[in-house]
Amino acid sequence: MRTKKRLALAAVAALAAALPLVAHHAVSAEFDSGKVITLKGTVSKVDWVNPHIFIYLDVKDDSGKITTWRLQSVPPMFMKGSGLTKEKLLDGAETTVTAYPAKDGTDAFGFLLKLAYPDGHFYNLGGGNAPAPAPPSPAK
Amino acid sequence: MKLQLGLAATLMVTVSVFGQDLNYGPPASSYVAEALKYPDAASKPTPKTADGHPDLNGVWHHFFGELVHPVGDGSFALGFGGAPRPANASAGGPPPPRPRPDPLPEYKAQYVTKVKFFNDNQVKEDHALHCMNPGVPRIGPPHQIIQTAKQMVFLYADSTGNEWRVIPLDGRAHSTDPETDSTDNGDSVGHWDGDTLVVDVTRLNDDNWLADNGLFHSKKLHVVERLRRVGDTIQYQMTAEDPDVLAKPWTISRILTLQMDTLEAAPACVDNDAGHYVNQEHHDNAR
Repeated sequence: MRTKKRLALAAVAALAAALPLVAHHAVSAEFDSGKVITLKGTVSKVDWVNPHIFIYLDVKDDSGKITTWRLQSVPPMFMKGSGLTKEKLLDGAETTVTAYPAKDGTDAFGFLLKLAYPDGHFYNLGGGNAPAPAPPSPAK
Repeated sequence: MKLQLGLAATLMVTVSVFGQDLNYGPPASSYVAEALKYPDAASKPTPKTADGHPDLNGVWHHFFGELVHPVGDGSFALGFGGAPRPANASAGGPPPPRPRPDPLPEYKAQYVTKVKFFNDNQVKEDHALHCMNPGVPRIGPPHQIIQTAKQMVFLYADSTGNEWRVIPLDGRAHSTDPETDSTDNGDSVGHWDGDTLVVDVTRLNDDNWLADNGLFHSKKLHVVERLRRVGDTIQYQMTAEDPDVLAKPWTISRILTLQMDTLEAAPACVDNDAGHYVNQEHHDNAR
C-alpha cells in the first residue's frame, strides 16, 4: 500500500549512518562550511528536483581525467520566476565554482555556493557574500 | 497533568550560510509575506458560484520561493531580503498581521518524551523528509481548489510530490471501507456552514506528524478544516483533535491569498542526500 515508504524504510535499514533529511536538513548536518573548495569545469547535468536541485560539474585534472562533482543547490521553488533556468546552467561554458565539501568524506560531493564565468557573470546560489572564486582564467 | 512542550527553540532553527541565516520558519511567515504583497486583497468583493456559495476556485499557492533574482549582466543571486513587488500587487488597505509562530500542540504528559525522541531524531524518523507525503494536516492548506456543487478538489504541489484530495459535499458519512482504514490524507467529507466550507477528516494513519519536530499523532486523529473566503483571501483554520495523545485540540490559522499564476506541478522529489548526514541538525519547512 505504501510502496514508497517500504522502499525508503529498506534504504534506511541498509544504511548505518543518520539518514536523509530532504526539505528540512541543515546544511551544516551534511556539508563543512569551514572549508570552501574551488573547482573549475563545465556543468554536464542538472537534476531539477525537490527538495534540492543537483548540479553536476565535470572537472578535468592535469592528466585529462574527468571527475564529475555532484553539487547540492537550492530548492526548485527558490528559482521560481527568476529566469535562471536549467538551460542557462547547461550552457557548456567553463565555470569556476566554490562549494562546501561533504562532511562524511564522500568524494566529489558538495554544497554549491557560486558559479563564476570568464565573462564576469555569475550565479551566486549560496546566499550572502559567497567567497569570490579564483579570478577567471584568461580567454583562450 | 498537561505539559506545554518546550520546543520553541527548535521551531526557529535556521541554516547559516556565510553568516546569513536562511530562516525557514515559522511556517506561518510565508503566508504573511504573501499577504504583504497584496495588502487590500481581503477588501475585494467575495465572488459566489451559481449555487450561491462562496467561490473558492483558484490557485492559493503560497510558496515562499522566488528567492533567486537577476542582479544584472546575466548574473543571478540568492537573496533573502524579499522579492520585488509584483506588477499586479495592490496598494493601500489595512496591513496584514505580523508573522508569529504557530502555537504548539499540548501533549498528554506520558507522550512528551516520545515527542522529544522524534524531534531529536527527525532526520531519521520523519517520513516527510524522505520524499513521502506529509499527509493531512501537515501538508497544509490547498495550493489550488477546484469547486463544483457536489465536491471540492484540493491540489497540492508539495516539495515531497503532487497530492490531491476529493471532498464530497453530498452529505455522506465517512467511509467504512476496511481497505482504506487509515491513509496519509485520510477520508474527507465537507459541508457548508453558512459561507464557511467545513472539511471533516478521519481515518488518518499514524505514520505522519502534525508538523515538524516530532509532533506525532495517533490513528484517532480527527481534523476539521474551515475555509472562509474574504475578498481575494481565504481564512483557513485547522483544528486537530487526538484524544489518545493530545491534552486538548490544537488549532492553527493561515491567510491564503489568491494567486494570478497557474499552479505549477512540483518537480519530482528525489532523496539524494540519503546517507550523507553526520548529525541530526534540521530546520522547519514552510507549508
